[in-house]
Amino acid sequence: MADRRYETLLLIHPEQGDAGCKDLIGRVRGLIEGQGAAISQVQEWGVRELAYTIGRQRRAYHVLFEYRATPAALAEIERNLKLMEPVLRHLSVRQGENAPPAAARFAQAADAPAPRPVREADEPVAEGGETAPMAEGEGV
Amino acid sequence: MARPERSERGRPQRRRGMGRRKVCRFCADKGMLIDHKDGRMLASFLTERGKIIPARVTGTCARHQRHLTNAIKQARTLAMVPYQTVYPQ
Repeated sequence: MADRRYETLLLIHPEQGDAGCKDLIGRVRGLIEGQGAAISQVQEWGVRELAYTIGRQRRAYHVLFEYRATPAALAEIERNLKLMEPVLRHLSVRQGENAPPAAARFAQAADAPAPRPVREADEPVAEGGETAPMAEGEGV
Repeated sequence: MARPERSERGRPQRRRGMGRRKVCRFCADKGMLIDHKDGRMLASFLTERGKIIPARVTGTCARHQRHLTNAIKQARTLAMVPYQTVYPQ
């Protein structure tokens, strides 16, 4: 069975502490590799604010795994993640084969300033779209 | 540049109102990717209450609105963006 690119984001209970989180990350890493998957990247985002409380927690430790695995291996990884109590939430998503690896910019806290490309006025698309139909209407 | 004469399919019709034509931000800026991990970007397509803003307001094209909706729903699972916001905070 062909293997596929996946990414999994884990939210870990913050009361685990740094050592507990590292320990859990090691376990998940072992779990993924134990399924014959090849991990390409692990990003630790640290403790971040949640948009709503999960299990009375306002924040959680975020970790992102990127790896190649077979669909059967993913099912087994997901099953084991569900059994891990300190994992508040997890989501595995299939990545496109040519998609760029997850950028580090997501690792920044949500309130940190980040460059956001705002492009509205530098392309004259609007004018082009407005004049064309009018000219056509006059011709007919 | 996106096709500017999209209205050509229907009968030629002058646009009502004086507002500028809305452009899909994802079509205009190819570097802007839709990602469920980018909570800040997704939040700009939500109302204060946490509802998804319709494409007719933001100007997002159908295809990108579809991807955006999926990404927002995934991000809600991960508590990157809210399901709802309760007032008063």
